[in-house]
Amino acid sequence: MDFRRIEVIFLIVFFSLDIFLFLSFRNSQQLVSSSSTNTSTVSEMRKRNISFGTLDSKDGNAYYLGSQPDNSLAQNVDKLRNQEVQYDEEDHRLTSTLNSTIAVTNDNRKKIMDKFLEKETNVLFGRDYKYAPQLSTTSQMVYVGTGDLGDVYDKTDQLVFSIENGRVDSYTQTHVKSLIILHERQSVKSEKDVITNLYANSEIPNNSKISYANMAYTKLLVAKNSTIYIPVWFVTIKNKDSKVSSVKKVNAFTGNIIKNSTNGDSSYNAQ
Amino acid sequence: MKFSRLIIQVLLVIAVITSIVLSFFIWTNTARYQRGRNIDVTTSTQNKNEVPINQVISPTSVIWRKDSSQHLIYNSNENIALSIQKIMQDWKIDSPKLVSQKDGAYYQKTIQSKNVLQLVYPSQTSTSILGYLLDNNSLRNDKSYSFNRILINLKDKEDKNIYLANDKNYTIYRAPVKNATSAPIKKLVNKANINLKIRLDIMKHGVFTIFTEPIKLNTYSYVISSKDDGEYTTALFDSNTSGLVTSEDNGVYTYNYGESKRLVSDHNSGELTFDDYTDTSVPKTKLAFLQRGYQKVTNLQNSISNLRLYSADWDKKSLIFREYVEGFPIFKKSEFGSIRIKFSRKGSTEHFLNKVLEVPVPSDQQPTKLKSTTDILKGLDKVGYSINDIQKIEVGYQWESEVDNEKVVDLKPTYYVKIDDHWKPYSDWTNDTAEDK
Repeated sequence: MDFRRIEVIFLIVFFSLDIFLFLSFRNSQQLVSSSSTNTSTVSEMRKRNISFGTLDSKDGNAYYLGSQPDNSLAQNVDKLRNQEVQYDEEDHRLTSTLNSTIAVTNDNRKKIMDKFLEKETNVLFGRDYKYAPQLSTTSQMVYVGTGDLGDVYDKTDQLVFSIENGRVDSYTQTHVKSLIILHERQSVKSEKDVITNLYANSEIPNNSKISYANMAYTKLLVAKNSTIYIPVWFVTIKNKDSKVSSVKKVNAFTGNIIKNSTNGDSSYNAQ
Repeated sequence: MKFSRLIIQVLLVIAVITSIVLSFFIWTNTARYQRGRNIDVTTSTQNKNEVPINQVISPTSVIWRKDSSQHLIYNSNENIALSIQKIMQDWKIDSPKLVSQKDGAYYQKTIQSKNVLQLVYPSQTSTSILGYLLDNNSLRNDKSYSFNRILINLKDKEDKNIYLANDKNYTIYRAPVKNATSAPIKKLVNKANINLKIRLDIMKHGVFTIFTEPIKLNTYSYVISSKDDGEYTTALFDSNTSGLVTSEDNGVYTYNYGESKRLVSDHNSGELTFDDYTDTSVPKTKLAFLQRGYQKVTNLQNSISNLRLYSADWDKKSLIFREYVEGFPIFKKSEFGSIRIKFSRKGSTEHFLNKVLEVPVPSDQQPTKLKSTTDILKGLDKVGYSINDIQKIEVGYQWESEVDNEKVVDLKPTYYVKIDDHWKPYSDWTNDTAEDK
């Protein structure tokens, strides 16, 4: 038997074994590095043509808030001028038709209406509200309740202007006089957590844009005659082709995606 | 010709050695790789669970003495103990050294010292557990000491130590601290909006927190959540419900999963018991003991943000968790708190209640004024329980279901007293009210 031939065969066998071992060694190391961070999710999203700004990964804190129904709108209704006012006692909602409509365009409407709000004879408690482009459409301008504790994106604390043919002609208003902290502050999910979680749950389609991601308080339930609010992430996703936007809501305490519930409806389960 | 043969032989030797070296690397590295992956799994589950372990295992009361008297402090907007714990994560805490042991007088003096902030755990913990919770490796890997109080001097700039005190054997340890300032802690202390005058007294059964004056405490209301038995069985029986055997007797439902697992749900009392006869390994370290308990708790209930480790009995391998509100424990209508977990070689047992606090609701009730602890002790003495009979005395919240709304529960403060290993409210021991008229 040719000993030299055996040597060559052995050399080839061992050499291919080395290559195999080296490759599997490298593979295992790559797995470790990729599973240890979730930056990979972010880059994967970019690859799928989902555009978004920098995601804040800082964890914040928020509270359970409560409010009692109040008639502050009804009590001050006499202050309003140049409008026809109706008040719904059950929903504590004020509906007003303006005597003289206000001309606005998409570009200047924020500026004009911000100014309009400043006067108490135009809108009650106008300073407690802030424009929310995320919730507004061309025919509706939504102002949300705002305060030291944060914004409230909810039908119970909202000011909505209706725009018809480029003119603001009426508005509906609900108001929460004061929010009380019901429980010590709790940590909430960061923007990055929420968006990567939405992506992982196939809630963000390819070729879309995350146009807004805000955390705001929204009504959870009504108990013992008080309304309870919890922090919720409102993420607006806009399809780049159809230009259609949809809003996804995520419970900021638990990170659970809130499904099949419209803004302010109580058909929502906390878990 | 000879020369080329030599090259082949040398290459062969190199190839063989490389393969050995590579195999060695893969063997050792696979272990590292798998360990790395395990860590990743635990962190990701921790992200999913809303509440991290260092919230469930954390100090529940904070005591501060600025001038002549000590005060139990609390901030209803921000949990002081948790915030301090977070601050401590940046500290460099070195291994502790013994200062004194079994010296009751010195111990009392130390835990009553001026300018000292105390974090008090409801049960014994250890330096290795603290090291784990603070992510401090030197503390974690060192020799472990038991303690239940952390003492931090906020004024003495010369004293660059924290002290660890153990109520059980009146032992004090000193641990040098670097990279720490007291300013953020002082800020937290100043923000406290509940301030109750107390005195720490050493009694026969340990250190008692004595409220020297009547105290006014808020009542709270919560929306409670509960789950159907089916949700527990899917979670506890690994989602395989096909082999389930069910029986019912007077509202007590029993679910058997073969011979290995059993869930008993008492619909009358809302208490459940889960036995897992396959879980026969007993935790070997105190840290593993708590970690496994935490894991079981998160598996049982979704909302555990109010849950704290209340007692850990290492000898009996039993853990008790209770829900807390504003720094005080909630006593439900069970003897075991909210969740009790027991490990043994025959399997693990979990006792728990179906009803969990979910969402806080504004309470329509007035704050309750409770008698001072001194008066409570006098009242107990009157009916024949001397101070030496009392194992523990604690202000806690009583769980009162509302008649007209079973989804809402009211929490009312009262004194709870442990005598003969039984926790009962003061009114049950004495037929007297704990409220100050």
